[in-house]
Amino acid sequence: MFETFDHTADLGLRIAAATREELFSEAARGLTAQIVENSEAIEPRETVVIEKSGDAVDYLLFDWLDELLYQYECKQLLFREFRIELSDHSLRAECVGEPVDPSRHRLAHEVKAITYHDFVVEPTPDGWRAEFIVDI
Amino acid sequence: MSKQAYHGPLERVSDWVWKIPRSYHPGMRVDGLIYSSEELIDQLIADQAPEQVANVAHLPGIQVASLAMPDIHWGYGFTIGGVCATDPDEGGVISPGGVGYDINCGVRLIRTNLTYRHVKPQLQQLVDELFRNIPAGTGRGGKYRFDRKELRTLMAEGPRALIDRGLATPRDIEYTEGHGRLDGADPDLVSERAYERGRDQCGTLGSGNHFLEVQIVESIHDAHAAEVMGLEKDMICVMIHSGSRGLGYQVCDDALRMLRGVPEKYGIELPDRQLACAPVNSPEGTHYLGAMRAAANFAWCNRQLLMTQARESFATVFGQTWEELGMDLVYDVAHNIAKFEQHDVGGVDKKVWVHRKGATRAFPPGHAEIPQAYQEIGQPVIIPGDMGRASWVLVGCEGSMRQTFGTTCHGAGRQLSRTAAVRQAQGRRIDKELLSRGVIARAQSWKGLAEEQPDAYKDVNLVVDVVHNAELSRKVARMKPIGVVKG
Repeated sequence: MFETFDHTADLGLRIAAATREELFSEAARGLTAQIVENSEAIEPRETVVIEKSGDAVDYLLFDWLDELLYQYECKQLLFREFRIELSDHSLRAECVGEPVDPSRHRLAHEVKAITYHDFVVEPTPDGWRAEFIVDI
Repeated sequence: MSKQAYHGPLERVSDWVWKIPRSYHPGMRVDGLIYSSEELIDQLIADQAPEQVANVAHLPGIQVASLAMPDIHWGYGFTIGGVCATDPDEGGVISPGGVGYDINCGVRLIRTNLTYRHVKPQLQQLVDELFRNIPAGTGRGGKYRFDRKELRTLMAEGPRALIDRGLATPRDIEYTEGHGRLDGADPDLVSERAYERGRDQCGTLGSGNHFLEVQIVESIHDAHAAEVMGLEKDMICVMIHSGSRGLGYQVCDDALRMLRGVPEKYGIELPDRQLACAPVNSPEGTHYLGAMRAAANFAWCNRQLLMTQARESFATVFGQTWEELGMDLVYDVAHNIAKFEQHDVGGVDKKVWVHRKGATRAFPPGHAEIPQAYQEIGQPVIIPGDMGRASWVLVGCEGSMRQTFGTTCHGAGRQLSRTAAVRQAQGRRIDKELLSRGVIARAQSWKGLAEEQPDAYKDVNLVVDVVHNAELSRKVARMKPIGVVKG
């Protein structure tokens, strides 16, 4: 699950999941929900594969979210389903969605960037949690 | 981390200045100094903004103090409203977080020959036309397309490169901070992704707190300075607030990725990863500066093209050319930028890197870097407030050079988080409420308007009182919004 939390100028996102893979897909859903108010209206029309590698799980999550922002801003793609495969140092994600259509997608925020401020990824007794702030 | 109050030390040192002593944290190299007032100080300690002022004081080479303006609020890394000057000769660093993602976000003010009486009957038509003509909001590209070569030129030269295309005049350039160009911009250091994001975004407003407003000069506080700027009571003006769009966000993002592990490499210990930095005189510092300057120049082009489109809309509605309507640029200021400037530091003339993160340059009369016409009055400073109450025009004064590296505030500063503002707006029509206050507002989304509602901001009048009384800048005119275009 994901929820937003208060940050004076921007927006905070808090993610909880049973596994690391779920954490990555929930974080992606949480981010998408900040861009488009009715993210349930995104249709599963095309699949894009995103691959990232990195040493640390927090940078990997950061780069994954950053890539989704790029896909939205430069390829105009919004996604609703994420099939995540994670190893220690890499990510492969199949992202299912469609090009943005302002007549059906209610656009909410232009997310400028993911920030490193208080960026947290850590295991919990129930799985994994993450917190991050996006610049609006 | 959710919103938490600041519980650290805060000592009042004068009517307008509070100090966080460097003894607060062992890593602090200088004190933190916050400009504020009795009315504003309680709000200011309600979140972690003062802690961020203390964090910035850790940066190597920082001079005098980590400074904060009265509109500060909790940011990421740097507080928004923060000022930090570093000396490269003392190992001083450059920090992308001290500029922000929206490199050279800033404001410009355009005057007209129109008064409220002229405009009132056609105000709805004018706002609709501006809303139609000026791309705003998330996911909207603009009507201007620049190929790679043209983008390179814009980034290297700034808006003067638009003169040949009839999209800028030499006078526009003269009245833009630094003539709309930071020297040393290197478009080759800007990534492919940044080019891609910037390709169709020059001349677009964006969303968040960016806006275009039609305003009236509500009151004049310095008749001579107002006259020199061409401002009169009841005059219609246009204020534009935007920055470097996706291109700038990507340049900052790329720089922060490049800086992963770099502070450690140079033995720099930081309390927050978002403060990532590199010595100015290092390969990483040089790389960021080349790209940051390119993005800053692009931002000036963006505001220039937004102004061009606003002029077109006025010409369409009023059936006269923009020149006939007297739509001259009063001034354009950057409020997210780092500049290499000459300052007196403890009696020694030094060149320092002044980071202004949500803070505005406010040079005094006689400063070589301001237009000839403003030499006598000082540099115009444009302070956007909120869309219901007021914005301000100030001029820089001598006190800014003595106290804050030639800097003043940049806006009202938020007091409500975006989520809190949306909660407060549930069941309300912010556009209707604004209309009852005499403001016609058009926005791409209800949420955008809810988040940016007047109550989300501090009272800009209180913020301006502080910088006026602390002699960082002086009041010239108060502006009242009557038409608002939002993303």
